[in-house]
Amino acid sequence: MSDNRVRTALHWLLGAWLVLVIAAAFFWAPAAAGFKGESSRIVFFHVPQAWVAVLAFCVNLIASLRYLRTRNPLDDARAAAAARLGLVFSLLATVTGSIFAHVMWNSFWNWDPREISIAILLLIYAAYFALREAVPDEERRASLSAAYAILAFVTMPFLVFVVPRIYWSLHPDTIIGATGKLKMQMDPRMLQTLFASLVGFTGLFFWLYTLDVRLARVRLARQAREEA
Amino acid sequence: MRASSLLSESLAVLGKELTSELRSRVALNAIGLFGITTLVVVAYQIGPYQIQEKDRPHLLSALLWVILFFAATSGLARVFVKEEDAHTAKTLRLAARPLAVFAGKYLFNLILLVALFTLIVPLYCALMGYEVRGLVGLVLVLAAGAVALAASSTIVAAIISRASGSTTLFAILSVPLVLPLLVMLIQGTRAAAGSVELAAVLPALQGIVSLGGALLIVSVFLFPVVWHE
Repeated sequence: MSDNRVRTALHWLLGAWLVLVIAAAFFWAPAAAGFKGESSRIVFFHVPQAWVAVLAFCVNLIASLRYLRTRNPLDDARAAAAARLGLVFSLLATVTGSIFAHVMWNSFWNWDPREISIAILLLIYAAYFALREAVPDEERRASLSAAYAILAFVTMPFLVFVVPRIYWSLHPDTIIGATGKLKMQMDPRMLQTLFASLVGFTGLFFWLYTLDVRLARVRLARQAREEA
Repeated sequence: MRASSLLSESLAVLGKELTSELRSRVALNAIGLFGITTLVVVAYQIGPYQIQEKDRPHLLSALLWVILFFAATSGLARVFVKEEDAHTAKTLRLAARPLAVFAGKYLFNLILLVALFTLIVPLYCALMGYEVRGLVGLVLVLAAGAVALAASSTIVAAIISRASGSTTLFAILSVPLVLPLLVMLIQGTRAAAGSVELAAVLPALQGIVSLGGALLIVSVFLFPVVWHE
């Protein structure tokens, strides 16, 4: 089978998987006890969006490190593509989190440590693009934004693990609890739907990421042809 | 690379920074006046009696760090921007190794921060009626905060000096990096103000030292990339 056929098959598989995840989230998994009405179902979308926002941050770091080693403009394009998707998914995670907060606590924003963490992640992505916009020279832009991405990544463990432990949080317990141990106290059907959604959103991220990188590859090839 | 020559190069860069700052006093004036002006506005409008007793620990520690951070932001960015503005960056690249340049500029920013803290913190305590029970704890939090803030400010200043629209970019790039640090600094200051026991400050202090150390080490590795780009 050619590469194109494999790619097309994977796209259809991803589409079908996500449709099944949406159906399972609304019709198969039960609503969790202790939450208002059906509000807990948002977990099947909010958690994978937050996961993808962090995953994009890691991909951005790896591509930035690679760029500083290889000086290949495609690695810079990979870093920017991951950051672009990270920005979109962290925005989505913020919006879905706010909707859940409004249903549960009657307020869209509570300055909860987890809300602050995702807001800072958004600010980091925004700052990353502000820096890219401010540097016209492509090579310099790539180096400086790679340096900033690596520097920003250093704060990540403090945002995710330290700050939420210092302040009391309204946020429901995360899958990895405060002790660092895995917490699996969900209904099995909820857990299966959540993991299926995590897989689906990860696939969606890599599909969009690949599209962006392929576009960048074409742009760089055209640029090289024009310069030759 | 010999350590003694690196040290002497770093001290030479620091000496150059101090001499040029004492000549122009731009950063000192900016940081000092910004700090005092903000403090006067806060003390005049809020003062020691406008805050209810139960809110004092939270609000007073947060207000102190808001004043200190934004005063610092007004001057620390200049450390590399002035080299680009005066077209002396190329000479400095030839004259000293990147690590020596970073160390000299970092120490200069650290001195500026220590001067700012020495000026503003006692004034703030006096004007706002802020009673600090654990003085040693507060000094440790301030010292760790200065080390960490100087590290993040120096590397961000180096990054923005190579971009256009530098002055506005400094705040945009710095704030997301130092927000977790500021949260821990406020927490540490509140703990120091409320207890004489050093153990009360330790959790926040551990976080500040870890983040500050991590930022400093990563900055040392990244600086040559930024400086030679």
